[in-house]
Amino acid sequence: MNQRLRFVLFVVVALVQLAVAGGAIVKSELALRTGEAFRFRIQPVDPVDAFRGRYVAIRFAVDRAPAADDLDVKPGKRVFLPIEIDADGFAVLGQADAEKPTSGPYLRLRAGGIYPDEDGTRFVWVSMPFRRYYMDEDLAPEAGRAVWSGRRGQREASVSVRVRGGVGVIEELYIDDVPIHQWLADNADNR
Amino acid sequence: MGRLSIRWLLGELPKLEAEGVIDAPVAERLRAHYAEKESGAGRRLVVAIFAVFGALLIGGGVILLLAHNWEAFGSGTRAAIALAPLLASQVLVGWVLVKKGESTAWREGSATLLALAVAAAIALVDQTYHTGGDLESFLWRWSLLLAPLPWLLNSTAVAMLFLAALTWWAGAARVEGSQILMTWPLAAAVVPHLAQVLRSDRRGLRAANLQWAIAFFLCVAVGLGLDNRVPGLWIVIYVGLFALMITLGAVNRRGEEGLWRRPLEVVGVTGSIIMWLILSFDEPWRHIGWKHIHTTERFLEMTSWLDVVLAAGLPLAAILAMALLLDRGRHRLYFLWGLSVPLVAIVWPLTATTDSRWIGAVSFTLLLFVVGIATIAEGVRQQNLGTVNLGMLMVALLVVVRFFDSGFGFIFKGFAFILVGIGFLVANVVLSRSLRARQGDAS
Repeated sequence: MNQRLRFVLFVVVALVQLAVAGGAIVKSELALRTGEAFRFRIQPVDPVDAFRGRYVAIRFAVDRAPAADDLDVKPGKRVFLPIEIDADGFAVLGQADAEKPTSGPYLRLRAGGIYPDEDGTRFVWVSMPFRRYYMDEDLAPEAGRAVWSGRRGQREASVSVRVRGGVGVIEELYIDDVPIHQWLADNADNR
Repeated sequence: MGRLSIRWLLGELPKLEAEGVIDAPVAERLRAHYAEKESGAGRRLVVAIFAVFGALLIGGGVILLLAHNWEAFGSGTRAAIALAPLLASQVLVGWVLVKKGESTAWREGSATLLALAVAAAIALVDQTYHTGGDLESFLWRWSLLLAPLPWLLNSTAVAMLFLAALTWWAGAARVEGSQILMTWPLAAAVVPHLAQVLRSDRRGLRAANLQWAIAFFLCVAVGLGLDNRVPGLWIVIYVGLFALMITLGAVNRRGEEGLWRRPLEVVGVTGSIIMWLILSFDEPWRHIGWKHIHTTERFLEMTSWLDVVLAAGLPLAAILAMALLLDRGRHRLYFLWGLSVPLVAIVWPLTATTDSRWIGAVSFTLLLFVVGIATIAEGVRQQNLGTVNLGMLMVALLVVVRFFDSGFGFIFKGFAFILVGIGFLVANVVLSRSLRARQGDAS
């Protein structure tokens, strides 16, 4: 094949590679800088990813939402979820719909499936896109342990998420309302 | 010309010279010409291998350093760190494309570095912003960004990395219960590169390595992609796949090439033996066929059809390849290996209709036995110890498996073993008599 054409094609591919990595940066920075902040309750565990290092795995306390009456989505398709605030000030997911809400903050998430719950109301499973909080390889297991005990009711773990245009980016991980790094420093002795 | 052919030619020269076919100066010139070529090729190969490994280690090191998670830097700095290795390796690859396009070492090495830099970049961005989801999603994005590189940069190392990433993704996605149909169109990105490599040096190391990667990829991806709505289709699919691999490998083979240069044959034969051993048990034949079709779970229509297409297509392709490509004289043994295809085409529907587990188990026990014995015989005929050993290995594995098989009663097994043992002794006597008779004729 023509050497010049090959080079041009490579430049295109290289730009796509840069755009994918760079686009993720831009999207996240936009959400972090200009997005609205919410606090979600979480239930985490701690594993490791060969490529991206250690992280605190996060399971959101809310991972399902009531489904709009006429909602019909196949698993894997996106749904829109308005964000509401509960009595304790934590964010919860509102009624899932196929259409973008006209006002208010929302998340655009991949739907699991639609199932009726115990009372027969329909709900939709959603997979939260922010399921990991990456940390320093030494700190991550400790943070994981700290958050773990939160699961048993002694401590409450949560994450703050900045939301902009359906995109949510995790900002900080909290234990009992204290940012994780500070919490680890405060509790260095009695962990 | 391949290395083995050169070695053969150099070995022939003294004889040709002695018989007066060529004279001494010609022989000397041939020797000088090919000796030079051989040592040059060897050196280039070593340089290329070192370049790839160097790139792999450096790229891997960058990923590990990034995985430490440098939280002390702000997100902006980390974003820059993520893009820097990517940009640097892109510039390097661009330079290599323009200036050093002919050098395998430069091409393979820089392309490998770029492939890992892509991984490092998306990994660090994910890490910095806690986005990107599971390993599955990471591997998917990585595979997508790698797909054009093998052909574009003519790099076999990247093709192998790409197939590995894609397979890993398919496995991870399958565990998560996601659809992995996209594996196939994406994997097709390797085909133009395969054509490229086969055109330039089909006997070379790169062609062999690429075929190894493709053969392993096919073995795993076919299994991962199965939908299993109709239970037992995997039997037909894998028997067909391995028979096809063996046939294509046999057709491509020229003379006495080492095992490393016969990946399709090696993977096909190994896969066939393992597959047949599994199928010689009754368990795989339990509840197979359309009578036991799954109706309760959710299936994707397309994937189910792909199962059927593969189950019909692979055996048919194997039969066609055998009929059209194999040579009746030269490839006698390979026809025997292909016997599994018509066998499974008869046994599978029969089992599905009768629900009898034993037809399949007995057929494949016999197949292993017959092909094993035939392989030994062919090996003896060709005076090829490797082939003899392969046949012996098959029979031995079959014996071991049946000895411990609890499906049959001890008395049945005992008699069967004794009968087969007597068979061997009788064959031995007949064989040695005929050999002695032939020697008698000859002398």
